[in-house]
Amino acid sequence: MRPLTLSRLLMHCAILGAILFAVVVIALKMGAVPVSLYGLVRDLFHVALGQASQLSSEHQLIVFNIRLPRIFLSIFVGASLSVAGASFQALLRNPLADPYVLGVSSGASVGAILALIIEPRLALAPAIAALFTPVGAFLGAAITVAAVYFLGRREGQIDSATLLLAGIISASFLSAIIQFFMSTLTGGNYHGFAFWMMGDLSTPQQPIVNWIVRVGFFVGAGIIYTTAADLNLLLAGEKEAMHLGVDIRRVRIVVYIAASLLTGLAVSVSGAIGYIGLLVPHVMRILFGSDHRILLPTVAFGGAIALVIADTLARTVVSPSELPVGAVTAVVGAPLFLYLLRRRLA
Amino acid sequence: MLLQQTSARKNISVRRKLAAFLLCTVPLSFSVHAQSTSTSPSASPIYKEFVDEAGRTVRVPQSVQRIISLAPSLTETIYALGLQDRLVADTDFCDFPPDAQKKPKVGGGLNPSLEQIVALKPDIVLLAKSFNRIETLQALETLGIPAYGTEPHTVQEIISSTERLANVLGAPEAGSALAADLQRHLADLQQRLSGFPSRRVLFVVWSDPLISVGKDTFIADALKRAGASSIVDSSQDWPQMNLEEVVRLQPDFLVFSGSHSEAGQNDFDVLAERPGWRGLDAVRNRRFAVISDAVNRPAPRIVSAIEDLARQLHPEAFAPHSEDEKEKKTPPRAEPQLSSTAFESRAADPGQMEACPCAP
Repeated sequence: MRPLTLSRLLMHCAILGAILFAVVVIALKMGAVPVSLYGLVRDLFHVALGQASQLSSEHQLIVFNIRLPRIFLSIFVGASLSVAGASFQALLRNPLADPYVLGVSSGASVGAILALIIEPRLALAPAIAALFTPVGAFLGAAITVAAVYFLGRREGQIDSATLLLAGIISASFLSAIIQFFMSTLTGGNYHGFAFWMMGDLSTPQQPIVNWIVRVGFFVGAGIIYTTAADLNLLLAGEKEAMHLGVDIRRVRIVVYIAASLLTGLAVSVSGAIGYIGLLVPHVMRILFGSDHRILLPTVAFGGAIALVIADTLARTVVSPSELPVGAVTAVVGAPLFLYLLRRRLA
Repeated sequence: MLLQQTSARKNISVRRKLAAFLLCTVPLSFSVHAQSTSTSPSASPIYKEFVDEAGRTVRVPQSVQRIISLAPSLTETIYALGLQDRLVADTDFCDFPPDAQKKPKVGGGLNPSLEQIVALKPDIVLLAKSFNRIETLQALETLGIPAYGTEPHTVQEIISSTERLANVLGAPEAGSALAADLQRHLADLQQRLSGFPSRRVLFVVWSDPLISVGKDTFIADALKRAGASSIVDSSQDWPQMNLEEVVRLQPDFLVFSGSHSEAGQNDFDVLAERPGWRGLDAVRNRRFAVISDAVNRPAPRIVSAIEDLARQLHPEAFAPHSEDEKEKKTPPRAEPQLSSTAFESRAADPGQMEACPCAP
């Protein structure tokens, strides 16, 4: 492991940040309605210098009120999912671990569908009704985390293999419940939920929801980062880490809860977007090594870049219609994962 | 209805987001301050307020010139009202009348491109709750685009919904004329069918798995008006039926809908080959009706589909001798007398569309 210096960390982040910025500008340009890259970049500078935007009012609305909030959502959802994935992989010392395998996303889906069914029966103000599904999803994720956490213990200790099995079985049980509830949904609700299940970033969120996701990301990722050194030692094995003075119990609880918070928030606004949490940490580990003090920030940038690109493809490939972004990440992610798997074996 | 003046466009929120974006990503950006000297509309149009069928208050320009329809039923309604010149775009699924296929598309009903909608600068976007997502309605609202939702549950509500929509679009005369015409056809049909017992039918939406329509749908209501009653008593919209239950209830007729009659004929032949289905008297006796898929859309054309179904289920009500005093009002369609073979599929002849009372 190369020694970590602040300048090395900052340089990695600066490079990835620059790539993310370039991807965002290109994503802002791409879409069903053509906007010239030159005009867009010039306009960004104009506005940055305090001058009036030169774009027509429709283009302003499209670029800044439709594309930009969606790109921001992709950035934070992608970063949250991949940081959660990296932490689960380190914590369980299992390369297959990701939020979906542990049942967290299925729990969030059950919460969301229950919210969809209950919501019309309560006469809520529209602003509260809009929050209802994300809150339901987050509660579902939180309850599942707690349940899987307790089911995954053996003799009072968390056992990685038991936890993974408990997660997988919970996920399939919750999927059955989702199927049951889906058969009771009608009309627009069914369509809306089916979309959400496939992973969907096309629905603009309330500003308050966006802020919860952003703040939640920094809180969750920040908490996980405080344990980065411990996660490094955990790679050597649990006993070894314990002998080196790591409070394994505390690290497990802190990371598990923080990573589940990240997953719950991400799933609540975007539905089931697979492979980001699984694949991005693997790619970043190949590029930057396994030091979690560098890995966690680079994984956040990598997840953001990956999901912005995937969502840009989702909204442009069959334009003016859209693909569910979950389909794009799966189609690209599954072969890539297999490639990485074979490469490692070779 | 209130007449209101608009204020200037909401450029502030655009600027705030932009400022946030640049502050996050371009650290060297200095003095980002909001200015209010952007391109604002030269004249503020006059707005009217309507309450749509989702219970939302929608502000619509006094003069609606650019309409986007996000549902096939609404596209049909716009054509039936003669407002097709103001329809600037519709969805990939808007296939009737054929001219509607040539309109610019904004994607599907579930995932239309918001960008494309914004770029077309619509005065109003029309949505149907059965075909669109509530999220799309909310998104359009957030973007400041007037979005009007419809949600008819019965044939009567389809007509009143059409009339209200005509009012919103600034064509009240066309709306009341169309509504009156549809009402006349329905009243006439009701009179013809009075005294005939209603046929117990199974409306087949999908055969494998068997999906029918629930009792609260406009399709179930349309069946009633055609002198039929659905054997399905479910409050779900699209219930999956158990074949054993269908055999126990023994419907008099199976009803299929299709864009052309061969489709319904094929559906029937496929079903008749399956073991369980031969337990149905209706299948053994080949008693089925095929009607236009207009019955699946909450649009004015549903009335002609209802008439068509009534003719197939109750040919005696349309027999020439009972027709004498109706002759002037509704001339019978150009088709041979309905013999017993009328139970079998009738070709949905193209001429039927012209005879449709709702076509302009």
